[in-house]
Amino acid sequence: MAHAEVETVDFEPDDDDLMDEDVGDGSPSRAGTIPRLKSAITGGGSSSTPKKTKGRGFRDEAAAEADRSARMSARFDSLDSEGGPGPERSIEGWIVLVTGVHEEAQEDDLQNAFGEFGEIKNLHLNLDRRTGFVKGYALIEFENFEEAQKTISEMDGTELLTQTITVDWAFSKGSFKRRNIRRRSPRGPRSRSPRRRF
Amino acid sequence: MAEGEDNGEFYLRYYVGHKGKFGHEFLEFEFRPDGKLRYANNSNYKNDTMIRKEVFLTPAVLKECRRIVSDSEIMKEDDNNWPEPDRVGRQELEIVMGNEHISFTTSKIGSLMDVQTSKDPEGLRIFYYLVQDLKCFVFSLISLHFKIKPI
Repeated sequence: MAHAEVETVDFEPDDDDLMDEDVGDGSPSRAGTIPRLKSAITGGGSSSTPKKTKGRGFRDEAAAEADRSARMSARFDSLDSEGGPGPERSIEGWIVLVTGVHEEAQEDDLQNAFGEFGEIKNLHLNLDRRTGFVKGYALIEFENFEEAQKTISEMDGTELLTQTITVDWAFSKGSFKRRNIRRRSPRGPRSRSPRRRF
Repeated sequence: MAEGEDNGEFYLRYYVGHKGKFGHEFLEFEFRPDGKLRYANNSNYKNDTMIRKEVFLTPAVLKECRRIVSDSEIMKEDDNNWPEPDRVGRQELEIVMGNEHISFTTSKIGSLMDVQTSKDPEGLRIFYYLVQDLKCFVFSLISLHFKIKPI
């Protein structure tokens, strides 16, 4: 980004890796409305850069698109959620994602490393289907929020079997793309910092 | 780091299905750019069951999904020489990552034998394993969150 220097003095600097077309293109992702499939992807033509496309899927676009929207226009169930930021509770507990897991890790390694924060209700340590080794992530379920929270704050960035792991929530109450923040003030440029420094 | 690997737009949709004597039976999931994971599974066999679930994922989960796709190098492949979708079934894999947008289609792949005997075994093998890894990831997410058996 050209304005990195300017961005740092802005009030929501961490928004800058988000896409501009997210706002104002009418993509309705609020709870309760069902966004039309693909509208955020290929529809509208609002994308700033044309994408390199490849594949036979683009040939029968109209028919496939009709088929797809018929399939996906129905109501999708979700757990009751108030929306907004923050982790979402799953039906029986809180799910934590671990990434950077060593390919030779065993379930016991994760039990030992994560079991001290609370009883692990469920552990998915999925394998790479080609190699048979661990794919690189694990999903761990704790019963209580506090257990999961403590796990994340104490284990994120630590080392497990020589590899640095990241530990974070898996599910969120709402979209992590905050819809309204990025709208520019109608009064003019959002920052009075100098345009250019060099 | 490859372009579009770590930032920029990300979207992924996978579909597998066929239309037969039990109607249209399919499995479909998508990772949307806003973080929403949608999962649909329609099997009309005996009883009419349609499972449709959706949940918002954290950026951490999307990033892992993106890593799995990146590592597979599927974006370098092309479906030109893959078996065409047929009466037995159809698979679709659509991915937007960075500045690239692929939308591949092919028939159902029963086993690795189908892959070996195809005109593009290297490419199809990448597709074959990526789809399994993605399904595995999605099934874990859906079953842990909703406590259902996805298949």
